[in-house]
Amino acid sequence: MISLLAKAGLQLVLLLLVAPLLSGIIKTLKARLQTRRGPNVLQAYRDIFKLLRKGMVIPETASWIFSATPYIVFVTAALVGLMIPMTTTDAPLSLFGGVLAVVYLLALGRFFLALGGLDTGSSFGGLGSSREMTLSAIAEPAMMLAIFTVALAASSTNLSEMAKVAVSQSWKFLAPSQMLAFAALFIVLIAETGRIPVDNPATHLELTMIHEAMILEYSGPYLALLEWGASIKQLVLMTLVVNTFFPFGLSADWTARGLGLGLIFYLTKMVLLACLIVLVETTNAKLRLFRVPELLMVSFILGALALISTFLF
Amino acid sequence: MTFLQDPEFGDRVITLMAALVLVLQIAAVGQRWLVSSIRIFAVQSFLLAAIAGIIAYFNHASHIYIAALLTLILKAGLLPWFLERLVRRIEIRREIEPLINAPLSILIAGCLTLVGYVVAQSFYHPEETSVRAALGHNTLAVAIALFLIGFFTMLNRRKALTQVLGLLSLENGLFLAAISLTYGMPLVVELGIFFDVLVAVMVLGILVFRIREAFDSMDVSKLRKLRE
Repeated sequence: MISLLAKAGLQLVLLLLVAPLLSGIIKTLKARLQTRRGPNVLQAYRDIFKLLRKGMVIPETASWIFSATPYIVFVTAALVGLMIPMTTTDAPLSLFGGVLAVVYLLALGRFFLALGGLDTGSSFGGLGSSREMTLSAIAEPAMMLAIFTVALAASSTNLSEMAKVAVSQSWKFLAPSQMLAFAALFIVLIAETGRIPVDNPATHLELTMIHEAMILEYSGPYLALLEWGASIKQLVLMTLVVNTFFPFGLSADWTARGLGLGLIFYLTKMVLLACLIVLVETTNAKLRLFRVPELLMVSFILGALALISTFLF
Repeated sequence: MTFLQDPEFGDRVITLMAALVLVLQIAAVGQRWLVSSIRIFAVQSFLLAAIAGIIAYFNHASHIYIAALLTLILKAGLLPWFLERLVRRIEIRREIEPLINAPLSILIAGCLTLVGYVVAQSFYHPEETSVRAALGHNTLAVAIALFLIGFFTMLNRRKALTQVLGLLSLENGLFLAAISLTYGMPLVVELGIFFDVLVAVMVLGILVFRIREAFDSMDVSKLRKLRE
């Protein structure tokens, strides 16, 4: 019991600390690639601490949903983070159905975020919510299909089991179904983290913004929680992609040596994935909103093909 | 470097590349920019050449090397270059309206792939053949899918140039099927097909240019009337 708490505590600390760092790394890399100097890597931490110390403005029309949303978003993201193998194959927490719980806890957070956007009655928030739900209606099945492909190969939906099987089969990532699933999940990752072909994370005043439109009315500590929650969600999704498809260096147990080595491998893989995301973000223009479903449809079809090809070959 | 001799390894690499080819083909269905479509075709042909090269390596079949080299030079180099020059000259960069909209065409492409898999499964008897002989057999599904999707692209697109691209990906499917099933047809047949495609594309290219000059559009649905 105590060791379980220790594992959960360790992973939680790692999760909370690495998430803003990763956002910072992506921002800096992106700026460098566009020959700007860009913010310091640690800027994301500073933003969060600054926001936590500030006062809040809560709209008069807001109900309890407005205040509950930041906590729900943050807690669901952190909870999901505990269910994902980060540096070891053994995740501290596993709830009903493993990966299904991961997807739907994230969906719960998104649902409340959309409600929070609607709650103040501002037209921007409502638009953001409606867009978010429209896109997630296609992104979610695509994600499920891609993940089921991996789960099928491991014959378990438990993420720790999936990671163990992935580590034991080193050539597995060459299978076509895995590659199709990776492509599908990467598109979903871009969409879910609000990155450029789908949404622009750097905007605060754009008619087509999605995530930023929903959190437009939030300020102070609430905004800090939402931003932190969003970066944890990003970290969780990236970890999911990296550790299911490229499980190199995941340690099998919770020893200090295994953890240290696992952490180094983990951070390297995450930075590499961040580079890929930055490359995609810099070389693409933002899609028109009505073109985004086409992109997600590609991801859906890729996921479906991945699942089919597992059965046939 | 023992794994370089292992047919199992070659099989995996080939399957992976075939999957990549399929991904590119589905991406091409949803693509509207002509130059991007041409580049997708070029990358696809490059992968095909690589697949042919790997099959040649594991079967020690020297004539497939020639086919691979020809694919590399013609389909990954010469044809894309020619088509891109054509795009620059006619100054049309975008397919405006396919007959069926993009999400639905991608869905249809997915269904066609499924058909490809189902058809190919009846050819697949892993217990009867050795590993080395079965090399690349599972690319047949991808080949049939490429063929069907190429057909669909030709039907779906209105611009003469994108129809040419559909024809080319159809031909890529044929090549992949031939290579994966029979380790390449006799070289004479291969050469014939290559020459055929090359001439067809050249002629179509000139035709596209003329259509554009005469009608101010590449839209083939406008070619209704026969002139005296």
